[in-house]
Amino acid sequence: MSGDEMNPAAVAQAVVDVHGDDRWMSQHKQFVLECKDAEPEVLFIGDSMVQLMRQYEVWRELFSPLHALNFGIGGDTTCNVLWRLQNGELDNIRPKVAVVWVGTNNYEHTAEQVAGGILAVAQLLTCRLPKTKVVVLGLLARGERPNPLREKNAAVNGFLRSWLPRLGQVQFLNVGEGFVHSDGTISTRDMFDFLHLTAAGYRAVAKPLSDFLLQILEETPEERRAMLV
Amino acid sequence: SADDSNPAATPTPCVDIQGDDRWMSLHKHFVSNSKDKEPDVLFVGDSLVQLMHQYEVWRELFSPLHALNFGVGGDATQHVLWRLGNGELAHISPKVVVLWVGTNNHGHTAEQICGGIMAIVQLIKDKLPNAQTLILGLLPRGKMPNPLRDRNARVNKLVQEAVSSLPHASLLNVDPGFVHSDGSISHQDLYDYLHLTPHGYQAVCPTLHTHLKGLLEKTG
Ligand SMILES: [Ca+2]
Repeated sequence: MSGDEMNPAAVAQAVVDVHGDDRWMSQHKQFVLECKDAEPEVLFIGDSMVQLMRQYEVWRELFSPLHALNFGIGGDTTCNVLWRLQNGELDNIRPKVAVVWVGTNNYEHTAEQVAGGILAVAQLLTCRLPKTKVVVLGLLARGERPNPLREKNAAVNGFLRSWLPRLGQVQFLNVGEGFVHSDGTISTRDMFDFLHLTAAGYRAVAKPLSDFLLQILEETPEERRAMLV
Repeated sequence: SADDSNPAATPTPCVDIQGDDRWMSLHKHFVSNSKDKEPDVLFVGDSLVQLMHQYEVWRELFSPLHALNFGVGGDATQHVLWRLGNGELAHISPKVVVLWVGTNNHGHTAEQICGGIMAIVQLIKDKLPNAQTLILGLLPRGKMPNPLRDRNARVNKLVQEAVSSLPHASLLNVDPGFVHSDGSISHQDLYDYLHLTPHGYQAVCPTLHTHLKGLLEKTG
């Protein structure tokens, strides 16, 4: 089925530095450091889709106010995220919500393996943070015109829709509708390189996502959130 | 010539290994987009150029100078060389080309990277005889000192020497001092110790903007 140890996309793997400046490990250590004194309500974890969100206005306007941490690293796969979460990025934080956005970089894996890798990330989060709600964001379409990676990402989302509901605290959210136009093209106004979102692209994603998060945070029983009372 | 054996100076299209052919789509987009434009300035290079286009600083400082942005994340000198030689300069005649590339030339020596940059300068000279090429110095990278910082610094030195005798090309160091006294770079300036944050661009761009305006006035 999925999420079993044999799935290569569900095997934790650190990025081995090949270029010589060890930037992946430096970013990981910076995140572990941030865990020491931060008390995040929301944790964002994933690849460049997460990392770049932090560079745009939407982060300051919609997500910083939710006391959010951003543990995105460009290029990461499900394997890299699994390794990071198992090696310090969850220590002494108890966010109410974790947002997972990863998988589009798993070029060597099939759609089913990628979905299994994402499931493994969600399972690790629910296991380590029993009270945390997990939101898995669907993979976006990519490329200027229809191509195999779009079909693969759509298949990943299909697997996630059917598997994730079995995990109590995990919800699937597709924020990608509307980026593919009727003629099948994606515009550089939304994705400047037909993969990474522009500021406008993030604005289209951030609104439904922040509404969704606010709703989850509001449902969180034990401490009514001061600003929502 | 010697450059034939220099991979950094051999025009090379980026082979699509991911499956959605985004590099070629971007190149074709730049060419078709340039047909109805008359930019005074062309920015070309890798993700440091491409990301500049996504932040406020572009709208504030560079759009007013009628600038086009042909930055592609991941590009090395040989990719830029191929792009410029295959249509990206065909429909425009900017007065200044701002070139920022070389930090992605993994596996190449500083000498090869300098050779790649100088091949681009020569190509621009051939296609745009009246244009000035403004080469931006490669930034330091990595959280702590490392071989790539040394290589980038050496590239800047070699390029500086190579352009000193050329009236149509110059190098501008835009590093405001990202490396702190303890040798570290802050993620507030380079969020992944390679790419600039908006804050990092705010530290880089005013110097560039002033210098660029000076160049534009000189070229009349
Ligand atoms: Ca000169």
